[in-house]
Amino acid sequence: MTVSDTPEPLAETRLRALSVAKSPVEIIARVVQSERREVTRRSDGGRRPLLSGLLTDGTATVRFTWWDPPREGIERGTVLRAVGAEVREFRGRPELTFTWKTRVEPASPVELPRIAPEEFPLKSVRALAARDEGFRVRVRIVRVQAKPVTVGAERRVVHEGLIADATGTLPFSSWSDFQLSGGDAVQIVGGYLREFRGRPQLVLDDRATVTRIDADDLPEPAALLRALPRSIARAEDEGGGDALAIEGVVVGLLPPSGLVYRCPTCRRSVKSGICRVHGQVEGQPDLRARIVLDDGTGALTVNAGRADTERLWGVTLAEARARMRDEPDPSLLEEQLLEVLLGRRLRVRGPGSKDDFGVTITPESIEVVEIDLDAAASELSARLEGGR
Amino acid sequence: MALREPAWRVTARELESALEEERGAGERAVSYLLSPFGARMNRVLVAGTLSPAEPIGRDESSGFWRARLSDPTGAIAVTAGSFQPRAMAQLRSAREPRPAIVVGKVHLYRGRDGVGYVSVRAEAVRSTSENEERAMLVDAVRQTLDRLDLLERLEKSPTTDETALRADGTPATWIRAARDALQRYPQVDRAAFRRELLPVVRRIAGESAPPPAGTPPTVTVTRAPPPRAAAPPPTAAERAEESVFLDLLDEIAEVSVDGYADLKEVLSRLETQGVVADRAESVLNRLEEEGVVEEPIVGKLRRA
Repeated sequence: MTVSDTPEPLAETRLRALSVAKSPVEIIARVVQSERREVTRRSDGGRRPLLSGLLTDGTATVRFTWWDPPREGIERGTVLRAVGAEVREFRGRPELTFTWKTRVEPASPVELPRIAPEEFPLKSVRALAARDEGFRVRVRIVRVQAKPVTVGAERRVVHEGLIADATGTLPFSSWSDFQLSGGDAVQIVGGYLREFRGRPQLVLDDRATVTRIDADDLPEPAALLRALPRSIARAEDEGGGDALAIEGVVVGLLPPSGLVYRCPTCRRSVKSGICRVHGQVEGQPDLRARIVLDDGTGALTVNAGRADTERLWGVTLAEARARMRDEPDPSLLEEQLLEVLLGRRLRVRGPGSKDDFGVTITPESIEVVEIDLDAAASELSARLEGGR
Repeated sequence: MALREPAWRVTARELESALEEERGAGERAVSYLLSPFGARMNRVLVAGTLSPAEPIGRDESSGFWRARLSDPTGAIAVTAGSFQPRAMAQLRSAREPRPAIVVGKVHLYRGRDGVGYVSVRAEAVRSTSENEERAMLVDAVRQTLDRLDLLERLEKSPTTDETALRADGTPATWIRAARDALQRYPQVDRAAFRRELLPVVRRIAGESAPPPAGTPPTVTVTRAPPPRAAAPPPTAAERAEESVFLDLLDEIAEVSVDGYADLKEVLSRLETQGVVADRAESVLNRLEEEGVVEEPIVGKLRRA
């Protein structure tokens, strides 16, 4: 470790309060992520090692650069005390640099600033944006579901769901089990936001704390999940949503729809026997429909899976495969599917994300809607007579 | 960001009355047809009675078919070519008029004197039950009324704040289309158009039979802004001029390189036969209106 002979008597600064004007600083923080690199000096071609990554102390996360770091490396989760760290600014955000003048030493996690939950600013769900942290929210758990995932070689369980307050909804994923269940009212401290598929998402890990609260001012999950459909134009304006409800008419299908083949490992669709990630694989047959739903104000894509496709089409996977054996042309099947779906009025609920091609919904439910023609006729005739 | 164009829910009448075209510039430009009633259409969804299709041009192998879709307000030509094989197969599949829905792109061909020929180039067609057709008409009337209300509101107070309208759930595209429509169709009788929606509502209520399949599909629908007096039938003298015109057109087209008759050549030859330019223009307009002659390229004529 780089050791300076003249330690400067500086007060410990919280990462939230870093500013270039107050450099250098003394900080204590945990390494969230680090990466070792070497930089080639232009003057003599010599190589100089550096470690860069992210540090957090619960109030903020900042990037750090550590010139000439210890050879043994730094493990993720290590708590460091750095005295005489320089604060620089990059793209409007403060960063820390450890130079030969900085004294860096390991510290104990108990030395990390203990911040009372009330010290974190209370934010509304709507006010949260990607990369936010060091805040407190009071929310309702709308729904939550455990999902096993594989991270590298490790198998873990992530709890995914949706939170809401009176201002809006936000998806979350938790890497620790906080024993959450739908309907809980909780205060969450120590979470952070990242962007997932273009939308902000709250991430909770073992550093977050979740406490049950009594809250009558939070919306009921049932009300949120049964909200009335809104226009597709609005879904486009808002860049998707976590609990969209849309009603529209099927105006087309996007390829690939109908009978598709999926990679047995990653479920990606397989083109001519080749998976994008796993190469040559034996594709497993599946049904899907990429439905273009239109309500006259806009259009979006609904990615219906096998169960929904079978129900809407009235054709099972086995039957589709039998048809395929008789007439080995997948576009014919897609045509038959469109023939059944075109013009059907559907009400779709689920989270939707937006990209360059518009909004895509991963449906949680798809209902076929029949409208009451007599009621509609009297409503419209009243409107016509009311007008000039 | 190029989002998919929504399918505007409109009646045949509104399509027929749309004459203001907005052509986009640049690569993959999108063009729109602006109706007097606040629809800025690239794609539409229309429902009605679809007539059997007929081939366009002299032979069936030309690969372009046309049918007519009628609703209680009017009728519109629906075309499909070999670039829309599924829609074309659907158009050709029927021998009898049937209820149907059509999703497609609007297409305006503009003749002389501001006469427009609106058609829908089908992307998808499906025969439906009568109830489904009526349900589609519900959307068409409801959204048309929404747009008419928006027009009224903007006309009364042109400075209405857009954010207030947006808060009510009015799409930004509708507000823009309504503002454009007010500006570009200042003289339109919206009350008359509103009355024309009444038969549609009766149709939704099941009180009236589907409209007749209408005139044969070879006649292209032609409309100037409504309301418009029907043109008197042509006189014998006018018919004679038409046949002179057509003979000349065939003669010139026969020897031309590209198979088209050059408009200037037709007009100058007609003048030598005693038909002056403005008479020739009106003959041409009538022939185009009747769908006998078309001008797919400016200044180039051919038999439709």
